Amino acid sequence: MLDVALQFLVNGLVTGSFYALMALGLAMIFGLMEVVNFAHGEFFVMGGVVAYAFCNVLGVDFYLTIVIVVALMFAFGAATDYLLIRPLRGQHLLSTALVTIGLSIFLINTMLLTFGTSPQGLDAPFSRKPIIIGEIVITEGRLFAIVVGAVAIVATHILIQKTRLGRAMRATFQQKEAAALVGVNVERVYTLTFALGTAMAAIAGVLLGAVFVIHPSTAELATLKAFVVVILGGMTNLPGAVAGGLLLGVVESLWGGFVSTGYMDVIGFALVIFILLFRPYGLFAPRPGR
Amino acid sequence: MTKTMTGLATAVAAVAVLAGGALAQTDTIRIGVIKPITGPLAFDGNNSVNGAKLAVDEINAKGGVLGKKLELVVEDGQCKPADSVTAAEKLMVRDKVPVVMGAFCSGATLAVMPVAERNKVPLITGVSSSPKLTEAKQSWFFRNAESELMTAQAFAAILYEKMGLKNIYYLAVNDDWGRGTVGAFKETFEKIGAKTMSIEYVDRTANDFYTPLTKIRAANPDVVIVVAETQAGSIITKQARELGLKSKIFGVGAWATPTFMNLAGDAANGVFAGVVYASTATGDANKMFVDNFKKVFNTDPGKYSAGGYTTINVIAQAIARAGAAEPDKIREALTKTDVQAPNGRIKFDSHHQAYGWELVLVELKDKVPHIRATGVAKSPYD
Repeated sequence: MLDVALQFLVNGLVTGSFYALMALGLAMIFGLMEVVNFAHGEFFVMGGVVAYAFCNVLGVDFYLTIVIVVALMFAFGAATDYLLIRPLRGQHLLSTALVTIGLSIFLINTMLLTFGTSPQGLDAPFSRKPIIIGEIVITEGRLFAIVVGAVAIVATHILIQKTRLGRAMRATFQQKEAAALVGVNVERVYTLTFALGTAMAAIAGVLLGAVFVIHPSTAELATLKAFVVVILGGMTNLPGAVAGGLLLGVVESLWGGFVSTGYMDVIGFALVIFILLFRPYGLFAPRPGR
Repeated sequence: MTKTMTGLATAVAAVAVLAGGALAQTDTIRIGVIKPITGPLAFDGNNSVNGAKLAVDEINAKGGVLGKKLELVVEDGQCKPADSVTAAEKLMVRDKVPVVMGAFCSGATLAVMPVAERNKVPLITGVSSSPKLTEAKQSWFFRNAESELMTAQAFAAILYEKMGLKNIYYLAVNDDWGRGTVGAFKETFEKIGAKTMSIEYVDRTANDFYTPLTKIRAANPDVVIVVAETQAGSIITKQARELGLKSKIFGVGAWATPTFMNLAGDAANGVFAGVVYASTATGDANKMFVDNFKKVFNTDPGKYSAGGYTTINVIAQAIARAGAAEPDKIREALTKTDVQAPNGRIKFDSHHQAYGWELVLVELKDKVPHIRATGVAKSPYD
């Protein structure tokens, strides 16, 4: 029983790393910019599709591919903000939400046309052979996903806490008018935030291709799950998004393991309803308001 | 003035469209097709359409049917009941096609059946497998595919008696097909004395199946019956090997296809699959189909391509026998179907359920499906 429970826990942490990476980007974009990004799942899959183009089609080294994908998707995020989100700055939440819904439909169908309908895996340099620790089985690819997820999250934390840009981001987050008054280039902060969130979803997409398979149909559920996590953690709470992601991964896995795999995806959505009813500011918010 | 001009232009355009439609109707016979072209089942849906296209090209190269060329009108039903019904209405009411092939998923086909009934247009599926569809005697619906019950009846005995697999675990996608297939297998297996250990249902777009597979590994059954399409099936196979699952795997779905074997890689070795079609099957009809398919699409055909191909041949033969491309005559002719398909000789029974394929049990090895046992699909009604 215990060994099976430990295996479920490890399984949950792998899925949780994906959720955390996705949710962190989504929470940053919402927290700073008040943009509800419905195209987040598409950015995620796009990371995988771009990685497929470089790694499998052009034969670029896998690790170099990760760097290229991050750079390209960062630029793509910046361009998206500049062309689609910026013209609607200061408008109601719904206007940008509609734009991102449109973008998500556009992206998913473009990917179906270019990438095709067949699921694909990345040529990652990981052995499929399992690593057995005690009774727990894990693969190189899964370990790599957890490590990369952790590195990306820690790097984001350092960026926000220790750098000049991070200070500008925090200032904008607290009070954008005041930040602008003291000379923070708020527009630039917005664009960089959106780009950073996009790049983070794309990293998760590369990991998706390395551990599982890439398929455009993954996007829809990924967006929904990211929203679940963000609501769990508190809409604007970045550490909450990370903790919420890992928590959802583990809870789903344990629920699937000990109760029912058929209702695994229900658990997250049920949690959201309860949290919105009883703790509307998220599990980890100390008190309402900020 | 402007308004009159616009009205005039619209009228002219409408006349042009109508004329164009009428023109198209005289020199070709149009066959409606409803398949998932986008969405999670797009890959399998497009394979089915490719099979249909090949059949049309072959028939047209030989001069078509009744001196006219065949033409496919493909609509994207996305396997959703609502979209499939819209597609069917469009094909039957606006395009006035005399016969429709579709709509892949049983749920979608079930929704389209009353539309066909109301418009009096024959509807044929080459894929949908839910036993529900042909339970009652049908008038306008035909099923040129094996029902889940037929699959279960053909394979359960082989697995239980010949291979000695007694303790069965099920892992299936959580939809009507997954649940229906598990139900059919469970019933058939339990009748002959096999034991059901447990059933796990999973989302078909999920990526991580470690949780159900960990449970299955702990239970250690003789065989896991996995009901899944290409995407989920290949990931499950890989992850089962990673976790070191010792039980045999028996796949139901499109498991003997090149895409599946490429995706699963080495993990596919030793996996058993029960399929209605394997490209390695013997016979001239299959050899010709595989050769021609490879020429056009550069890959071996799978189950869904064969389904699309055979269904178009069934339709073409019926139109030829009917002597006119009219719905009621085609319907009448369809009941007398006798077609040599790549995988058997197809006829319809009193419920319009086709039978006569050779169902094959294959073992996948080094990207080739090796045939281990065969059985003929019998009519479950007559």
